[in-house]
Amino acid sequence: MKKAPKVNEVNEFLEIASDFEDPLEVIRESLSNSYDANASNIEIEIKSREMGSDIIIDDDGDGMDLRDLESFFDLGNSRKTDSIGYKGHGTKIFYKSDEIVVNTVHDGTNLRAVMSDPWKKLNNRVLPEYEVTETPVSNLHKGTRIRIHNFRSGQGFDPESLTYNKIEHYLKWKTIAGSTAHMFEDDQHEMDITVRLGDEIDDSYPEVETKNRLEFPNEQLEPDYSSDFPAERMCKHYGPTEVEADYDGGTTTLHITGMVGGKAARNELPTYGKHSAQFGVWLAKDHIKVERLNEAISHDNEFLHFFFVVNCQDIELSANRETIRNKSSPVFQALKEATEFHLSKVAQDPWFKEYLEIRREAEIKRRARNRRASLKLRRERVESGDSGEPSNRTEVLLTLARENENTLPGQISVEDYEPDSDVHAIARQNGKLRNAAVHCSLTNHFNEELTFEEVDLIICWDHGDPVVLREYERQGYLGEDIEIDLEENGLLYGDENPTYVEILPLSHHIEPMSPRAVADD
Amino acid sequence: MGDARAGKLTIGDSVIETPNLFPVVNFYGGGTENSVYGGGIHRTVKEFMIGADRIGGDDAYAKFFDAVMTSVSSLTDYNVSKERYADYVYEPIKEREVFSPFNGVIFLDSGGFKFLNNESLDGSDFQEDIDQAKVFEIQKRMGGDIIVNLDHPITPSDTHEERLEKARKTGKNIEIFLDLSDEYTGARYLTLHGYNYSMMDAFLTEITDYVSAEKLRSSFDGIALGSLVPMKDNRSALIDAVIDCHEVLHDWGFDKLPLHVLGISSRAVPLLVALGVDTFDSSTYLQNAINGGYFLSLMETVNVNEANFDECDCPVCSSQHMRRWMRGNAPYKKDMLGPVAMHNLIIQKREIEEVRQRVKSGDSSSLVEYIEGTVAQDKPTRESAHRVVNHSLGGYFQ
Ligand SMILES: [Zn+2]
Repeated sequence: MKKAPKVNEVNEFLEIASDFEDPLEVIRESLSNSYDANASNIEIEIKSREMGSDIIIDDDGDGMDLRDLESFFDLGNSRKTDSIGYKGHGTKIFYKSDEIVVNTVHDGTNLRAVMSDPWKKLNNRVLPEYEVTETPVSNLHKGTRIRIHNFRSGQGFDPESLTYNKIEHYLKWKTIAGSTAHMFEDDQHEMDITVRLGDEIDDSYPEVETKNRLEFPNEQLEPDYSSDFPAERMCKHYGPTEVEADYDGGTTTLHITGMVGGKAARNELPTYGKHSAQFGVWLAKDHIKVERLNEAISHDNEFLHFFFVVNCQDIELSANRETIRNKSSPVFQALKEATEFHLSKVAQDPWFKEYLEIRREAEIKRRARNRRASLKLRRERVESGDSGEPSNRTEVLLTLARENENTLPGQISVEDYEPDSDVHAIARQNGKLRNAAVHCSLTNHFNEELTFEEVDLIICWDHGDPVVLREYERQGYLGEDIEIDLEENGLLYGDENPTYVEILPLSHHIEPMSPRAVADD
Repeated sequence: MGDARAGKLTIGDSVIETPNLFPVVNFYGGGTENSVYGGGIHRTVKEFMIGADRIGGDDAYAKFFDAVMTSVSSLTDYNVSKERYADYVYEPIKEREVFSPFNGVIFLDSGGFKFLNNESLDGSDFQEDIDQAKVFEIQKRMGGDIIVNLDHPITPSDTHEERLEKARKTGKNIEIFLDLSDEYTGARYLTLHGYNYSMMDAFLTEITDYVSAEKLRSSFDGIALGSLVPMKDNRSALIDAVIDCHEVLHDWGFDKLPLHVLGISSRAVPLLVALGVDTFDSSTYLQNAINGGYFLSLMETVNVNEANFDECDCPVCSSQHMRRWMRGNAPYKKDMLGPVAMHNLIIQKREIEEVRQRVKSGDSSSLVEYIEGTVAQDKPTRESAHRVVNHSLGGYFQ
């Protein structure tokens, strides 16, 4: 007995439609379909509705005949061979709605198809049907109009969160409107794309209009020294370049195009989402960007300066076009290596190195300016006389040196200083070497969780908060008892054979500062 | 073509094509005439060089020894007696019966690199003090076609003062060397030391206290850039040094002289050719063979036990006799590696020939293509390769 595995058609539709969440994905699919139908004009309208959104897509393309219409609604029998949509899954996104109405004119015939409650029916495990009516029309008419009623956006994709700004950037980044194909082919046909949003969504513009081409900011190879950041608008184009990459089993072709540039240049590109998440190296199919491959740029070059699109028709996409499926294939490996190879050439371009150098110099000069500003403040503080309190270890030691002869009991000279080690200094007192920890406040020793091992002396500006110290006495420190005698300036640490550590708080020996000298400029 | 150049180097009656790679050959290894003055791998290499009976009397190998590098220090390394030393320097190498089939150019290094690691050239075994005069005498008696002054190489950890001190010692030697070698018929190369422009400039400034720049320019026939061995695996530092060397030589008026880079592994050769270096010496063909390494190309090495000799058409791999040796069926176990070294050398010489032809073609894209297919395929070297193409061969994006 032979048995064939069964396919549950309803579940198939449900699953595919569920892959799509964002109403913007409807736009992406529609633009690709219209492009495949040779449309030169496409208008999209989105309105917010109680349960989701109404979406109308209108193009002047070749229209559909009855068989095309069937594939539009069917699953897995796309008639398209050289098209952008993936196996015809894209249009199934429309099933996530309350009604689909298609009007399409092809060869003097208007076909109207209506499908009611597709989403409700699928969820009730019923395959939704559609009704087709045929009417003759004048040959002047052309194109397809699709109306989706109450498209169910996923959670977090409320149509009201859409703005013209967001849509425009999405178009340029994620759809054929941001295609780089025109840099490689002469015959890529141009499309005018218009999107209108209901006023309840965004009334800041009447519409957005764009073409199906991504353009780079103009080149500017020279720095602009009239600016504080001369490299900021620098920009160089790299490509378009066609690269063949061999792998075990074949050869694939890469179309690489890109630019390197400063912030001002990059800001001229449309962006989508977080600005910094947009740059780097994009892998693309059909010249539409899919996923980034920033590791293609070696680590000492910040990917942020780069914007590259690497198109390869041999990458395979997930149904929702968001990720690449064949990453473990040899063809992907070859693509990756060839991309790295190409970008290493860019990173070794003397122009790029010079650009980095100009940026670096501007950054150093900016830091120097900030230093000057803070230096001015510091000098003012010294002059005003309240600069007495050290703010780091070195200043504590400077205070020690300054006050040595005047006020301190016995000379203490610092012979060795390693601020990053646990015992910061080796001091000489009355001819003997002593291991010293140096702190602004005694409490810092505890905050930094330093041990008292090998420490004979703590040189500090003051004790810090006595309550904090008392808590350590109460609870112990690093698992051992500790006793601190602030009157006698000493501490005992450890349960058996406790260590004795002397404390030298400089503030106790020094009178409040008065201006000693006035700096003259 | 860019900075890369191809030409002919004429020394006396010998003419060699550049860029060229000089294999290191140890003429005297403590042996006697019967063993071609050597043992082990050195002996077999020389047997190939002269087409000895033991390797089948084949003279097809001579052309791979059109120029060789050897050093005065090869005498001092083998505990030879005073008598044997006297024999070694009794007549020039090429006039010796046993080496008569060999007529390549001999670059005879001073052995100054022995001063690194605080070693010295020690002639005590044959009761000789080694100084500039002695080194020159040995160079002359051995019949070097290209000779260099006795130099004091630097290391990356040297302080500025140490480097100047070494430059002064070298400067003194140069003064003596030029005096003594005034009538010498071979070519004289000046050693240059430094890792960047300023270091080389300081070196030249220091030695011109002893010999004027004018005199240096008129007396020396070439420049030998030294001290790079300790950084031979740091490609980007190596390339920095050679790029800067070019600039220094230009600024000091030495840029017409041929440039030799001392002791650099063969893998960097295509890049250094692109930067304008004319000749190299390398012992990697030997070193690798000693470790059982069999070259598949400039970039790829396998163990000789895994090598498929059918895939190589060189005279070594084409000889059944030599194949048996490489498989371990040799008169002595150590004979096994000699043919491997010879094969390695052939691979290197063929590559340099390939590079030379591409430079000669005058079409920089041909050399770029070569670099892309070899050095740039090696990940650690890729950036350097792309940098060199951008720096010296017209670049990718001009
Ligand atoms: Zn071979």
